[in-house]
Order: sequence, then structure tokens, then C-alpha cells
Amino acid sequence: MLLELKGIQKRFGGVVALREGSLAVDRGEVHLLLGENGAGKSTLMKIVAGMLVRDGGEMLWQGRAAAFAQPAEAAVNGIAMVHQESLLAPHLSVAENIFLGREERRPLGWVNRRRMREQAARLIEEHGFPLQAEWRVERLTPAGKQLVEICRAVQHGSSLLIFDEPTSSLSEAESQEVFRIVRRLRERHMGVIYITHRLEELRAIGERVTILRDGNTVHSGALSGLTTERIIQYMVGREVTAIYERTPLAPGEELLRVEKLTRRPLLDGISFSLRAGEIVGLAGLVGAGRTELCRALFGIDPIQAGRVWVCGREVRIRHPREGVRAGLALIPEDRQRNGLAAGLPVSYNLTLASLKTVSWLGFINRRLEREQTSEYIDKLRIRAESGRQLAVRLSGGNQQKVVIAKWLFGQARVFLFDEPTRGIDVGAKVEVFQLMDELAGSGAAILMVSSELPELLQVADRILVMRQGRITGELPGRTTPEEIMRYAALDKQSGAGGEKPE
Amino acid sequence: MIQRLLPFVTLIVLFVALALASPYFLTQTNLSSVVRQTAVINTMALGMTLIIIAGGIDLSVGAILAMSGLLGTMAMEAGAPVGVGMAIGMVTGLFWGFVNGFLTVRLNIAPFIVTLGTLGIVRGLALIISNGLPVHRIPQQFSFLGEGNLLGVPFVLWILVGCALGTHLILEHTRLGRYAFAIGSNPDAAFYTGIAVTFHTTAVYAISGLLCGLAGMIEASRLMTGQPTAGQGYELQVIAAVVIGGGSLRGGEGSVVGTLIGAFIMGLLSNGSDLLGISPYLQQAIIGAVIILAVSVDELRKRKMG
Repeated sequence: MLLELKGIQKRFGGVVALREGSLAVDRGEVHLLLGENGAGKSTLMKIVAGMLVRDGGEMLWQGRAAAFAQPAEAAVNGIAMVHQESLLAPHLSVAENIFLGREERRPLGWVNRRRMREQAARLIEEHGFPLQAEWRVERLTPAGKQLVEICRAVQHGSSLLIFDEPTSSLSEAESQEVFRIVRRLRERHMGVIYITHRLEELRAIGERVTILRDGNTVHSGALSGLTTERIIQYMVGREVTAIYERTPLAPGEELLRVEKLTRRPLLDGISFSLRAGEIVGLAGLVGAGRTELCRALFGIDPIQAGRVWVCGREVRIRHPREGVRAGLALIPEDRQRNGLAAGLPVSYNLTLASLKTVSWLGFINRRLEREQTSEYIDKLRIRAESGRQLAVRLSGGNQQKVVIAKWLFGQARVFLFDEPTRGIDVGAKVEVFQLMDELAGSGAAILMVSSELPELLQVADRILVMRQGRITGELPGRTTPEEIMRYAALDKQSGAGGEKPE
Repeated sequence: MIQRLLPFVTLIVLFVALALASPYFLTQTNLSSVVRQTAVINTMALGMTLIIIAGGIDLSVGAILAMSGLLGTMAMEAGAPVGVGMAIGMVTGLFWGFVNGFLTVRLNIAPFIVTLGTLGIVRGLALIISNGLPVHRIPQQFSFLGEGNLLGVPFVLWILVGCALGTHLILEHTRLGRYAFAIGSNPDAAFYTGIAVTFHTTAVYAISGLLCGLAGMIEASRLMTGQPTAGQGYELQVIAAVVIGGGSLRGGEGSVVGTLIGAFIMGLLSNGSDLLGISPYLQQAIIGAVIILAVSVDELRKRKMG
């Protein structure tokens, strides 16, 4: 065995993150690590990669007892980790990041930048990534950063590579590229541990699986004998329908109407409308302009042309404040960066968007605030000790619920959900869908951006497809992923007309 | 929780230790002199608490203090009543606080840089206006502000308590305070939530400026002069008070009670050193060490919480 973990334990203060984490992975094996958020997957892997020190249990690396106190120590021993959240130096170039900590040196310790750039360029070309070695990392999309992290891990010639949800921010094509890389690593006889939330991608990539629940390894074995339903049962410990069933409602009055919205070069003549009670999916590849559309509608980015009506009134929205006032709500794609004040208590986050409803002449009614927040914590089943707990200490799914919940106090009628299920576990996903369903039921209109086509197909009443800043198609909710991809990925001539693809 | 109380415990321990070490410490004269000495830094630190919670910093507080005191006393010298002179001093502070906030949000320049610039501008202007000379001819009753007593305690203590209550109220019970926390914790999220970040950031700097103006008048009253060179280096003491009291320069953290404790710890250290005959040179080093100690304890606590 390359790596064996037996009964690993880890506590943070009073919280037990791992009770009994066990896992074994061999050379030439892709081992899938599954579990809900907060199950302890990342903690277990951080212990392997030397980012955390375990409190108990045994770790055997190539048959010998091992404990890595620092990431550098793990790296020297051949363990590398591709992180969910980018750990790159934003102001350095792609090449410099790939070689960070292991720069090519000339004599006297000078850094050989030309050589690094050449090697990085070769690596990027080899994998066909849409990157340039000299680009600055801060200007990359989340997907681009992820690719840099992968390059970095591959370049360093490790014998065990840990992927922490590598595809959660990637487009379909980029995900396929990641799978290809992982398969190549396996052929080179490396061990791979792969954490993912996307159950539909499991079988494309791995053969063995370990499932964690509440800090315990509940199952470990071959993937072939397991149905997806069984995996979900192991993960959540109860029966959950993998496919969310939504009964579409009869659409009501028009709540949002957009005509020829333009923000060059990202948005080009966008027109659509949303009705009360509708959940409309917005599909498209990364870079198609879906996030940009949400941002422009909400007043974050200025538009150059086009008209917008909310609840029948024409509005000009130039600041999120005006968006809120008009009745819009945006649940942003990057919740850590744009959605959550992580260092503040949960209750502060919950009421942030609608403090006016709990205050009088600028003074906050703290008692009313407390009552309302604890009501919503219960209602949305946010797993927090109390409203006073800091948001940073919640799991991803619960953080997302907080970000959504802050719009429920106000008078928002049109909700823009940008990738609402990114990086959250199955159970939380279903809860988010239920919430959207309830919102629609209470007369709201919802636009849901998602890169996960199965989700869109489950939840949306109809689906708009974007490609290069335009809406290229509108499909009924019961369409197929293939049909969506045709509009999203192909030229207008072959896609929009419904002609057969070339 | 124990560690969160550490600044408070430190203050108590320091107080008891000084009471045991020096027979003069617990005399009314000495204690009121501690209060008077720390009142100026304390008042400014309240405003700085707001700014630091909102993720900013203000290096120009000492210069604003000087100009406020100067203009206030110049007005009195020219015959204005004490109340009018005080108002002029405070409005001066308010104005420069507003300028700081406005430049920070409008030009989107780091507040460290903006206030480093206004520090120079305000101090320079104060020297130009006064020709570098202090203002001396001030009505005698003005000294009541800094040196008078009301109901047996220094008048400045009443003022300080009032300002502290006001600031606490703003921070914990108003939308402005809540937005300050949100902006300091995550300005992007605050913006995405529809908060008027520009307005509220400017307001925070303006309030701090107002408190600096008041502090300038207290300082002028204590010295009975309007000094264009007053308050040099105060910005560091003020920031230290906030930080010792648990404020984080990363924003989103801090409290009025913490800041008061921080300021009094520094005040007691300096007073104690004087009583015990410790050299003022060593005093500086001790206060420096206390700052690092306080912040490292705070960081350790946070790391433990994960």
C-alpha cells in the first residue's frame, strides 16, 4: 500500500472533525473520497498533506509510520494536494506559481525565469489548457486558477496526488480534461485521492471509494458494486431521493422583463422574462456571460444599453442598493468573497440585507433581530449553535443557507441564484432546491445559473442557454443535457436552428 | 472566554500591583491625573475603534487634534465665547474626518496612504496658520474642560463616559455600526448586499474626526495653549489602544470596552513607571512589548478556535 490511514482522529476545540478516519490507497489507483460537507474529508486529507496534525490514529506512508508536520515535509515525501480554494500567489505569473518553492535555479541562487517559463508553457500545451505561462494569476477565473494548481502538482512529480473537489468550479470540457489528467497519472503508477461532490462523475474516474460520515469511515471498497442510491445512503445515513422532483406551478404575472441588455463585450442584446412561480435555469459554458448577466441586472456592473422592468415597473439599477430596492436578490457565485461576512456572527449575516425591517430611526431592535434570526435558523435547518456563532465556522452548505436566508427577510421578488449548489453536499443541495421551490411557491421568480446540467434539468421549469454573451436557446425543463450542450457549445448556425450538429 | 477577558484581567492586575507597589498610586490626585492624561488618547481611540472595525485606519488623528485645538483657541483669542470656540474645534475635526473618508472611498486609495497624506497636509496647514507659534490668550474658564471637577471626579471623565456610551450605542445598536462591521469583515459582501459602502465608510471617518476635534479641545484646555505641534505620535498610541483592546487591523473586530481597557492599560503603565521611577525610555519599550504580547495572545486564541 502507498498510503494507509487507520482510525485518524482530529478535534478543533470542542468540535470533533474526525472520529475514525480510515482509508487505504495503492499505486496506480484512483481512490474516491466522498461525504457530506463537514464529514471530515478535507480534514483527513489535510492531515495527510501535513497541513494539520492528527490527534490520534495511525498513518503508514509506503509501509512506514509517518507524520508530516508541514506541507513542505509531505511534499518532499511525494504528497501533493490540489486545493478547492486557490492557494496561489495572485500577483505572480502562471509559470512562477507552478514553480513556486521549487524554482529553477542558476548558480549563485539566481532564478532561471526563462527556463521556468518554457517548461510551464510546455506543460500547459501538453494538456491543452487555455492558459499562458506569463499571465498573472489574479486575472484568471476560478477555473483557470484550478488548472494552475493542477499543473503545479503534476510538475512536482509526486507519488500521491490529492484532488479536493477539482471540478466544482470547472466547465464540462475542463472537467473532462481533469479526468484525462487523472487517468494519465494512474497510468504513470501514481496514487490519486479524489474528493468530489459530483456523484455523476464518479464512475468516469475512479474504481475504489471511501465514504465518510460525521468523521467516521462508513464504507470503503470497490465502486462497481455500489449503486448511486446506496452511496447517497452511506453519505447521509438516511434515504434521500437523488433526483429532486419539482412540480411546476402555473406561472403568474411577469416579474422581470429584460430587453436587449448589453454590456460589451460580455453581454450582447439579452432579452428574456421571468414570471412569478417560475424557476428558470440559465445554462452555458464557463465564460458564456451568465454571471455577468446576474451582476449587470443587480447593478454591480454598469450596462450600456437595454431596458429592465421589475414587477411591471421600469427600473434603472446602477448599484446593488437600487437592485435591492427594486426587489431583486443576488446569491453570488463566490460566496466566500461576495456573499458572506465570515468573521461576523450568523445573525449579523442573516439580517444584513434587511436591517431596516428590524430597526427604527437607525437603531436596531436587538431582541426582534434575535427572534427573527433564530426563527430562520430553525426554519432553514442551519446547523449553528446559535445566532452568535461566527459564520466562518459553519460548513459550506450551511454558509450557503445563510447567504440565501439573508434575502428572505426583505421584499425581494426576483431571485438570481448564481451556482447555488457549488461545493455543497447532497443533503444541503436538496435543501437549497426545496427552498427555491418554496420561494417560487410563494410567488417569487427565480433565475438559477448552474453548470451542473442534471441539476438544472431537475429543478428548472424552462432553461435559457447562453453562449458568448447571447441567449442562444430556450428549452423546456424536460430537455436533455445533449440538447443544452448543443446550444451552449456549438455555433449559432448549427445550434439555434435546431439543425443537426456537424 | 478566559482569553477574551485577558485585557480586563491585565488591567485589574496592573491596578492592584501598582496599588501595592506605590503608596501614592491610590491617592485621588494621582488617579485623577491618570484619567486626565488618558482622556485625550481615549477619546481619539473611540473613533479609531469605529474606523478599524470598518477595515480602515487613520494616521492623521494627531494632526487633526492639533489643528482643531489651534482653530478653537484662535477663535477664543479673537473674542469668541468658549462654547463657540469648542464648536469650531469640533467642526474642524469633523471636516478633516470627512475628507479622509471621502478620499478613501472616492479615489479608492488605501486609507493608510490617504491619511498619511492628510497627516502631512493638516499638520502643515496648522503650522502655516499659526506661523508655528502657540496660542496663549485663552479665557480662563476654558480650563474647566480639561482640569475641572464635576461631582468630585474630573470633568473629562464625564465627557469620556458620554462619548464611550455614544460610540458603543453606534457600534452595537445602530445600522451604521452594523454596516461598519460588515464593511470591515468583507467589503465585497457588504457591497453585494446593497449596503451604501461609500456613505457609511465616510460617516465612520467623520465621526472619528469629530472625536479628534473634541480631543483637541481637551488637550488645548489641559495645556491652556493651542499648539500647532500638539499630538505628535498620538496616532500610534491610539492605534495601540484599539489593538490591545482586541481590535483587528484586518477589520470586523473590536469593541468600545476593549479599547477603553487598552487605553487605560497604557495609561497605567506610563503612570506606574513614573511612580516607580522607571526611566521614560524604558517605558516606551515596555508599552511596545505589551502591544505585541496583546496581539499574539489574541491571535493564539483565534487559531485555537480554528
